[in-house]
Amino acid sequence: MKNILEFLIKIGELKGKERRGWVIHQIKNSESTAEHIFHLAFLVLVLGRKKRLNLERAIKMALIHDLCEVYAPDLTPYDPLLPKNKKEIMETLKHWPKFTPALKKEKERKKLEVESKSLYVLISKLPKDLKTEIKNLWLDFSSGLTKEGRFVKQADKIINFLQGMEYWKKYGKIQHHLWVRWIKEITDDRSLLEFIKEVEKKFYSKTWKN
Amino acid sequence: MSLRHCKDYRCFVIQWQINSSRGLGIIFKIIKSTIKLIPLARRGFLLTNPMTQDKRFYLTKEGLEKIKREYEELRKLKFSKTKGEVPKILHSEDLNPEYLSFQEELSFLGSRIAELEYIIKNAKLISFPPRGKQKIINLGAEILVEVDGQSDEFKIVGTLEANPAVGKISNESPVGQALLGHKVGDEVIVSSPIKTIYKIKKVRYLS
Repeated sequence: MKNILEFLIKIGELKGKERRGWVIHQIKNSESTAEHIFHLAFLVLVLGRKKRLNLERAIKMALIHDLCEVYAPDLTPYDPLLPKNKKEIMETLKHWPKFTPALKKEKERKKLEVESKSLYVLISKLPKDLKTEIKNLWLDFSSGLTKEGRFVKQADKIINFLQGMEYWKKYGKIQHHLWVRWIKEITDDRSLLEFIKEVEKKFYSKTWKN
Repeated sequence: MSLRHCKDYRCFVIQWQINSSRGLGIIFKIIKSTIKLIPLARRGFLLTNPMTQDKRFYLTKEGLEKIKREYEELRKLKFSKTKGEVPKILHSEDLNPEYLSFQEELSFLGSRIAELEYIIKNAKLISFPPRGKQKIINLGAEILVEVDGQSDEFKIVGTLEANPAVGKISNESPVGQALLGHKVGDEVIVSSPIKTIYKIKKVRYLS
C-alpha cells in the first residue's frame, strides 16, 4: 500500500503542471496535464460509445497516456526548433515546424524512448499486475496497436485542438489555420472527423459565443 | 431497385428489379450514378462493402507480415496461458488480484486475436501503379507538397500503418483522401472554413 500511496502522490503533481505547448504560446493560467487527461477521458467516453470499442480499456488508456510527464519533458511539435527569446518563439510559432521524414522518425524514436523510461520509473514499485497493465496500455496508445489505441491516440490530438481553438478565441495567440490543417492530416476516424466539423462550425461561426 | 458495389471498384455490381412500368430512364439513372462513383472509388473513398459492412485494410507487404506475426505469437501465448496453472479465484476472503489480471489478459488476448483475424481476412496489399501512372498519387506514394508557403513530405498509407508523427498519412484522413488521384502540378484544396492548398511537387514510389 505504501508504494501505491507514493505513486498517487507523484501523479498528483500533474495537477499543477502547465502544458508546455500553451506556455510557449504565452497563455496565462493554461491547462495542466491532469486537466488535459480529464478532458480526453470524457471525449473518449462520449464518442467511444458510438463505436465498437472496449470502452473500459480506452478510458484507462486515456487516464494513463500522459503519466510519463511526471518525469519526462512535455515535448511539442516545435521541439527542438524553439529559441529561448520570447519574441523569437512567437515568430517560430507562425509556421508549422518543418522536418525531413528521417528527422521526424528520429524525433519520434527519441520521444518514445524518454517517455517509456520515465513511465517505467514511475510505476516500478507498483504491484506486478498493475504495472504490467499500465505498461501495456501505454505501449498500445503510443504505437496505436489496437482499435482502442488508435482511437485514443487521435482523440488526444483532437482534445488538444479543441483547447487550442478555445484559446484562439480567448487570447488570439494561436495560429488557428495551421491547427486546422494539421488536424486534417492526422485524423481518419469517422466519428472524430464528425466532431472536428462541429468544432469548426462553432469556432468559425459569425455568431460565436464563449 | 438497388445499386450496390462490391469490395473492388473494378467489379461494381448493379442490381435492379425493374417493374414493368419502369423503363430505360431507370437504367440510364443507374449507369449515371455508377459513373459518378467510379472516380470516388479510385480515390479510395469507398472503403467498405455496404453488404457486409466489412472494412478493407490497405497494407504494405511488411505491414501485413507484421500483423500475421503478431497473430501467430498471440495465439501461441493464449494457448500457453490456458494450458498452465490458473491462479486461485480467492485470496483469503478477497478476490485474488492475480486471478482478475489473468482473466483480463485472457479476454484482451481473445479480442486482439479476433481483431487481427478480421484484419488479415480483409487485408489488401498495396501495389504500386505501372510506370506510366507513377505521377499520380495512389496508396504507397511518397509525395512532396508545398503548403502555406512551406514544403512538406508525406507517404500515403492505409489506416493501420498511418503515423503522422513520422510522415505517414492515412488515405482515410481528409488530406489523404483529397490528394489521392491527383498528379504532379495539381493544386488540391482541402475544404473547411479555412482553405488549405496543397501544391503537388513530386510523387514517387519506393519499395
